[in-house]
Amino acid sequence: MADTNEPAPRPTESQLNRDILSVMEGASPGYFLLLACAALTFAVGAAAFLYQVRYGMGVAGYSHPVYWGVYIVTFVFWVGIGHAGTLISAILYLFRAKWRNAINRAAEGMTIFAVMTAGLFPLVHLGRVFKFYWLLPYPNQRALWVNFKSPLLWDVFAVNTYMLISIIFFYIGLVPDFAIARDRSTGIRKLAYTVLSLGWQGTGRQWKSHNRAVLHLSGLATPLVLSVHSVVSWDFAMSLVPGWHATIFAPYFVAGAILSGFAMVCTLMIPIRRIYKLEHIITDYHFENMTRFLLLTSTIVVYAYAIEYFVAWYSGVEAEQTSFWERAFGSYWVSTWIMIICNGVVPQLFWFKKLRTSVPVIFVIAFIINIGMWFERYVIIATGLSREFDPAVWGQYTPSYVELAIMCGSFGFFSTLFILLIKAVPIVAIAEMKELAIHERLHGGAH
Amino acid sequence: MPKIDRRDFLKLVGVSAGAAATGCADPTEQLIPYVIQPEELTPGIALTYASSCQECGAGCGLHVKTREGRPIKLDGNPQHPVNKGTLCSRGQVALGWTYHPDRWDGPLANGESIAWDDAISTLAGWLSSAGKGEIALLGGDPGQTAGEQLDRFAAAVGAERVVYDPFAEEALISAVKNVFGVEAQVRFDLSQTDLVVSLGSDFLEAGTHQLELSRQLTEARDIDANKTSARFVYFGSRLSLTAGNADEWVPANPGSEGVLALALARAAWDAGARPAANADQMEALLQGVDFTKAASISGVDRGEIKRVGKALAKSQAGVAMPPSSGLRSRRAVSTASAVLLLNYLIGAVGQRVRILEAPAAHPNRREGYKALSKLTAAIAEGKTKVLLVNDANPVYAYPGVAAALEKAKAAGKAPKLVSFVSLEDETSVMADLVLPNHTPLESWGDRVPRPGVRSLQQPTFRPLKDTRPTVDVLWSAATLAGAEGAPSGDFAATLKAAWADAGSFHELLQAGGVFAESGASLEVGLSSDLKIDAEAPLVEGEGEFTLLPIPSPLLGDGSGANLPWLQEIADPVTKLTWKSYVEISKNTARSLEVSHGDIVNVTTSAGSVGVPVYVRGGIMDNVIALATGQGHSVGYYAADLENGTVRGVNVNDLLPAEATDEDGGRAWLTVKASLASTGEAKPAGFIIKSDNKRGRDLGEVIELSSFIRAAKGHGGQDDHGGAHHAVKEFDATFDSDEKSPYRWGMTIDLDKCTGCSACIAACYTENNIPVVGELETVRGRNMDWIRLERWIGEGDTNSPNVVTDRKVENRWGNEEVGNNDVRNSPMTCQHCGAAPCEQVCPVIGTYHNGEGLNVMVYNRCVGTRYCGNNCSYKVRKFNFWDFSHLNWPGDLALMLNPDVTVRGRGVMEKCSFCVQRIHTARQPAMDEKRDILSHEVQTACQQTCPTSAITFGNLKETGSDVAKKSSDKNRSYYALMELNTRPAITYLKKVKRGEVKG
Repeated sequence: MADTNEPAPRPTESQLNRDILSVMEGASPGYFLLLACAALTFAVGAAAFLYQVRYGMGVAGYSHPVYWGVYIVTFVFWVGIGHAGTLISAILYLFRAKWRNAINRAAEGMTIFAVMTAGLFPLVHLGRVFKFYWLLPYPNQRALWVNFKSPLLWDVFAVNTYMLISIIFFYIGLVPDFAIARDRSTGIRKLAYTVLSLGWQGTGRQWKSHNRAVLHLSGLATPLVLSVHSVVSWDFAMSLVPGWHATIFAPYFVAGAILSGFAMVCTLMIPIRRIYKLEHIITDYHFENMTRFLLLTSTIVVYAYAIEYFVAWYSGVEAEQTSFWERAFGSYWVSTWIMIICNGVVPQLFWFKKLRTSVPVIFVIAFIINIGMWFERYVIIATGLSREFDPAVWGQYTPSYVELAIMCGSFGFFSTLFILLIKAVPIVAIAEMKELAIHERLHGGAH
Repeated sequence: MPKIDRRDFLKLVGVSAGAAATGCADPTEQLIPYVIQPEELTPGIALTYASSCQECGAGCGLHVKTREGRPIKLDGNPQHPVNKGTLCSRGQVALGWTYHPDRWDGPLANGESIAWDDAISTLAGWLSSAGKGEIALLGGDPGQTAGEQLDRFAAAVGAERVVYDPFAEEALISAVKNVFGVEAQVRFDLSQTDLVVSLGSDFLEAGTHQLELSRQLTEARDIDANKTSARFVYFGSRLSLTAGNADEWVPANPGSEGVLALALARAAWDAGARPAANADQMEALLQGVDFTKAASISGVDRGEIKRVGKALAKSQAGVAMPPSSGLRSRRAVSTASAVLLLNYLIGAVGQRVRILEAPAAHPNRREGYKALSKLTAAIAEGKTKVLLVNDANPVYAYPGVAAALEKAKAAGKAPKLVSFVSLEDETSVMADLVLPNHTPLESWGDRVPRPGVRSLQQPTFRPLKDTRPTVDVLWSAATLAGAEGAPSGDFAATLKAAWADAGSFHELLQAGGVFAESGASLEVGLSSDLKIDAEAPLVEGEGEFTLLPIPSPLLGDGSGANLPWLQEIADPVTKLTWKSYVEISKNTARSLEVSHGDIVNVTTSAGSVGVPVYVRGGIMDNVIALATGQGHSVGYYAADLENGTVRGVNVNDLLPAEATDEDGGRAWLTVKASLASTGEAKPAGFIIKSDNKRGRDLGEVIELSSFIRAAKGHGGQDDHGGAHHAVKEFDATFDSDEKSPYRWGMTIDLDKCTGCSACIAACYTENNIPVVGELETVRGRNMDWIRLERWIGEGDTNSPNVVTDRKVENRWGNEEVGNNDVRNSPMTCQHCGAAPCEQVCPVIGTYHNGEGLNVMVYNRCVGTRYCGNNCSYKVRKFNFWDFSHLNWPGDLALMLNPDVTVRGRGVMEKCSFCVQRIHTARQPAMDEKRDILSHEVQTACQQTCPTSAITFGNLKETGSDVAKKSSDKNRSYYALMELNTRPAITYLKKVKRGEVKG
């Protein structure tokens, strides 16, 4: 990383405490306004969902043969978003990429909430949501069991395991920070942080155990980063549907997930940094590193797009060829080209250092990638199902208002939780930042 | 604290428990078991009654299946010579009339309920106050004995009885009189034919005899039984269902059939055909035939005429079919006469064209239209004081009646209108008195479709509503009014008396009638008065298009429009539902710049209507076609209640009330029309989204030459340039439990499937499939378990050809004028041995059972719809709404089959291979300690298929029909075989026979 700009001088430890914990203190009217907007959006989505439960899936835009649509699209989208957190905390931890420390807390929080949001959608899309627990294998008096051959069941396991590990990881990292918050807060908050910090004293033994736990959990979480989206991709790849049935799906989806996850981290962190004046902690250096990830994964995704078309052509299977031709030039061409331009073309601008280091540019491009990644899933699901083997039942999918409301509601759900998180936990991992600062003081210079 | 003793406590507990039970749950209803169970009735076991279908004049025999006293399914009577156990779509769903939400609850006067006695005395008052000739009894044919009674009633009260059927064969009957000089009826028999030439005859889809003719044609063309299978040439302007089943379609101008028939006769004469007698007269008649003129009128190349004429001359058993009713021009009698003459020349008369005795009890069979015209004139002038309407909806369906009533009303001389129909319709809602009849399933009756065949109709159900038989009501009123001649008993007794000569009534009821036809034709020769005016049809008016009214294959003259299934099952040709569409050619669409669903104004001399277009290649550029049957303003399903408007358009609004020549009934083909785009559009409710199979393994054909070569053992499957089957053959019997004696399977013979859609109707009623309505059909959410695909040729992979997207020219389909490579291919659950749906279901809601069935556990399904996505055949349907509650208004829920679960909201469903019928067959087999035999189980679709295209059974039973057919080396294939899903349905390729040789 010779050409990266050097990290800014480290703030002192007391500065860190003060600046990061100040984020948690008080709240401006703007904060409450934002929280209210998010909660309202969530409420609208929830109302739409209840409406759907009352009247049936008919209120969604599904029809024969397109039985999956916005709900599954949004599910995959949020699972993808949930990738950045664990990647940053686990894989980058193992690789000793120290720059991760400034962003890992927010990224992990985002991960958990994204996976929680994602977890809603398999339920939202069920025809009989009140029977959702039939998807869980547990001994029961109904003598019913699940089908372990179904990729949907793998999904249940993959997503839940991932969520569990992410929450544990998030919490373990938070324990020392909770202790700092405990020491500086009063009243009920103090009580809460006392409980949450689990009696953390900062002794050498505690630090040793803590670091070992983080290391082991990183080792555990690393394969999960790769597996969860691979498994999600198998929902599609394991089926017979032309345009879904492809071996490249697992790496393709993982790369896409990392792309969308990092894009979402940028989208969230840039405003937070600005509002809470954390520029000296989350520096441009951090964002530049993230843009490199965006560039890398975008390039992988472009390769996957290209390979899909190449294989469709090379296979000689007419149904595949037709499906892909219809994808690019048929009735879904707008979505397809949004996908290609947003995910494939626009991120390539990061080859230019000037753009890579301009925070407003990063923000805009990250936002565009978020849009593009939603459309990527939309294109895969909707076009695949619309143009299958029997041309007599080719169809056309148009989302209904109810579906769009529920999708927006999911953003409301996520935002509500994230906005609350800002006030509940130190948004930057104080302990890790300090560790980094001490480390640098002792050895000097960046790695 | 007051003391509560034990008794008080128990009282309180009892009261609160009672309150809880009644307050928080649905009101308690009592289930009362049979105190004394009827001897013949075992709950759970179906009872079947023989009866007779009343939907048209064909008089098909019925087996009415009842469960716990309710009729739940209509099947054909296998002993009946007309339908031999099969039924058409209309017959299948006729069950719905009895339970229909539009049924009248009882008699009404001016819309108010009254008692029967008051209603009858009111009617009696009107009858006695009206003078002779001031009473008219107008309607359809209620059957033999009822018809006789109506005639006697009419005579007793001095009424005039007019019987009218918009599609009656008046022209053909008149032509028989003209050509042979006898009053007789005609029956075509195609079972022994070797060459059928249809001159605009859509006999497989329209007309009274479609079931019988479909069966006979298929018998004659059965390639396995008969290697010299019959050939079939179609002359016509539109690729109808019949045209699509022919070997070749020769495009010909509508109305030119008579000219063509004479030219063909001349060509046959030139090729050496001579009639059995009257050769001189024949020669004289054919003398003046001018091929050039015939070619210019018909638009058919003279070489083609000569080729087909020569083929007719050479054929051993050729037959020519006269045009369908929609093609009846003002020269219809001449046209039909020319066709009869051609048949006489080639020796078909007496063999394939049987001249039979005219049926009795039909006062004006040849002059129905003439009598109707006289009556409408009388009504308009106010001369008719009482108009009684039975078995018909004249305000909607009969030309001139609505206008005449309006005119009379304006002049203050409106007749007292009395309707005897069981359901709301346009006529009965404006009637002064509604005296509802029983529905056919509740009635006695009989029909005599032809000499020697007498079908008996018996009630299978106690009447659901306060209704009475029309004949009884009329006689009661007549007796009150002082008329003489009433029969001593009620109608049931009269009927019994009328059948006294036929033997034991009990046995007759069991058999369903007397079926002892000799089949012998009357000996006829050419009449000396024979005259044929073979000219171009007189199609008049402004406009560049000939308006071709098509009798709707499903809705008929509109009487079927209120049966929801007939609205929702796609038209067999256009695959459109729920609306009227005017069919226009691609060139016409280009010049008007319109596409599917764009609304155009169709204007003729008689009127103008706005109707969406359906663009197709299979219609000549100078013709536009509009189906009958829609345009109802009354009816739960017939009218568009959702939008409060009329559903579709009534083609009668565009046609002047014109008669044909020589009492040939009403002329349909009379006007020219012009089209103008309105700029508006409506999305179209297509069931089949494309006719382009893109070369995939769906709807396969084999050339006749390849078939013959293969059958002789020279090589296997043909090599016609389609997809090669690289996948290894598999043994479907491995796809069930090793120990199970069963692997249920099916074969579908595309060479026999005509595309009539009766299987779909049977499936709907057997399996309680909901009807979703127009809006949901447009959204693609129809629930049909059988999808009748209609492919045109091999298709091409370059064009998308999806009709969901409007405004895209290449999505108008692959049809072309003159090309009739139509492949009707029913698609339903394939019960795959390696089913893609089974492995993706997370909750095992669908799985493979030991007998090889892909079964669906509705209770287990949570509705992920993954199975539907992964099904390569797209046959899984999802319950988007709570159809089980929404879908059965009125008493319709009573017709549900108790053996089949009504599916709840949010679950998938699909074809079950009628698993309930397999279970019904299982018990007797178990009692006898043996396996179920293949022939003991018939699926609903198989049972009703008029051409026996579907065979169902056990693939493991060696020697079963299905095992034999599915191992057919020459014609079998699997749908989408390269996916290796190991389907249980084997398709047999359609045989492409090619042009007939001259």
